[in-house]
Amino acid sequence: MFAVETLNLAKRYGKTDALRGLNFTVNEGEIMVILGPNGSGKTTLLMILCTILKPTSGTAKVVGIDVVEEGTKVREVMGIAFQEARGFWRHKPSSILRFHASMFDIDPAKRQDLIERTMKDLELWESRDKMFMHLSGGQAKRLETAKVLIQQPKLAIFDEPTSQVDLRGKRKIWDKIRELRDQGSTIIVATNEVREAEYLADRVTILHEGNRVVCDTIPKLKDAIAGGDIVEVDFEDPVPEKLVQDLNGLGGEVSLLPESNQLRAKVSKAEDWVPRMTSASYVAGAKIASIRITEPSLDDVFLHFTGKALADQP
Amino acid sequence: MNRVLTLAAYNVSTLLSERTWFFLAWALFGLQIAVYGSLMSKLVSTAVPNYLFFYAIGLMVITVFDSGADVGRHFVEHAHEGELPYFLSLPVSRGGFLAAQAIYGVANTMIKVLPPLLGVLWFVGDLTIQGAVFALISMFLLGLGITGIMVSMSFIAFKSVDIYSAFLAGLSALIVRFSTVFYPLIFMPSFYSPISVLSPLTYGADLTRWVLGFDPNFLLNPIIAAAVVTGVAVGTLSLSAKIVDKVIEGVKAA
Repeated sequence: MFAVETLNLAKRYGKTDALRGLNFTVNEGEIMVILGPNGSGKTTLLMILCTILKPTSGTAKVVGIDVVEEGTKVREVMGIAFQEARGFWRHKPSSILRFHASMFDIDPAKRQDLIERTMKDLELWESRDKMFMHLSGGQAKRLETAKVLIQQPKLAIFDEPTSQVDLRGKRKIWDKIRELRDQGSTIIVATNEVREAEYLADRVTILHEGNRVVCDTIPKLKDAIAGGDIVEVDFEDPVPEKLVQDLNGLGGEVSLLPESNQLRAKVSKAEDWVPRMTSASYVAGAKIASIRITEPSLDDVFLHFTGKALADQP
Repeated sequence: MNRVLTLAAYNVSTLLSERTWFFLAWALFGLQIAVYGSLMSKLVSTAVPNYLFFYAIGLMVITVFDSGADVGRHFVEHAHEGELPYFLSLPVSRGGFLAAQAIYGVANTMIKVLPPLLGVLWFVGDLTIQGAVFALISMFLLGLGITGIMVSMSFIAFKSVDIYSAFLAGLSALIVRFSTVFYPLIFMPSFYSPISVLSPLTYGADLTRWVLGFDPNFLLNPIIAAAVVTGVAVGTLSLSAKIVDKVIEGVKAA
């Protein structure tokens, strides 16, 4: 059974299709990152999964429970950190977390310790008695994350969890999300930040204009780009012409750089190509000084599959 | 049920954190009765005996109406300040969510109405536990009905807050003026009274006056009034439960 499964899921706002027949699955115990630009349908998908929005058509199930038919049961097993932390203006972070914990039946005996530990982990403890409206944007986002962490739901959803958070805070949140996965939760993270996706993802789903473009592990997505890996090899002496011809026969596109003792190869899987290249170099008597491998980024992956760069999206 | 009560308690704690508004509401009530009510009472005392008492109950019924409208506004504010998606993601049924809103509304109404009610009953020398309890029940039922109407209408606010505000202003202007909160039905001109019997405030106000012992000659039949007030409460709350479940969505995002 999948932790999350959608079938032909569609959502229409007036004349705008936010989701167009989306088929999407998340395995139990994995971190699935949904990567896509603003307006790609990420938040709409998450809102349907946590029963806040209703699909126009299609089905969505969370741990086998239909989100439309049995919404309350779905809400019992999932938790969400919203993209925008708002509301609760006159409440303090500690009281917001106490309320959240009581709504999810967190053991009262352990509640206070759990809240204190989580707030300290996320560097919110010093702000525990500030009103929500006096928190910074980053603190408010960390409070959103804290709600889900104390809840430890079967399905935890984070919608752009580190937007407005400083670099140190980002790393803390990411580590806590991975810790939550290690404790048995299934995680969905929606983001348009490539670094966040690369740090967190067990698998990535790329959404574009309400459709799933591709879904796989990051290495496989990168390998799917023909010629996506770039290998630069420095030799101690000028490269024999025969070696260049041999290397071109290994697949990929090999070119000799102007310095004549440098090669650049664009290959699909550097990890397969490099051993074969070193063998051929040894046979040709060419001594290698250094090898640099550059993988494509998720930006490149997105560009490859959608024809557009993430950053260019509206 | 426990979660519904937790949610309601949270809402009520928010309400109590704004207690300045209660003091203001009680002060305004007192001022309105002391100045406007007493002067009007002298003007019309030949037509309606003890008009001050009649007027005071009417003013309390308006307070009940305003409190019901507050629940609708509270609901709309939840939506626009971002709390509604959070509340809709909590593990309570939509009916439970509505019940928590209703409990909030009742608390809001009771806090605003109880001190004025006790004060008025004491002032007119008719303060009994029985009278106060029945008057509260009557206004409680009316408050539930108004809450149901307001929550049912609040889905308009998901399209446009401006339209909702205009609608509320228009509704309160009509529903208060075309009712018996300030003048008995028997004094109304023939073109006016048929409209007034459409206002739920007419039945709430007359029922409350009846349970407090006001002259029945100036009031509607109490059995009809009780039936209408109860029917409106049950009907509009059922309608709002359906609307919350089927229509209202917490947020629209792409």
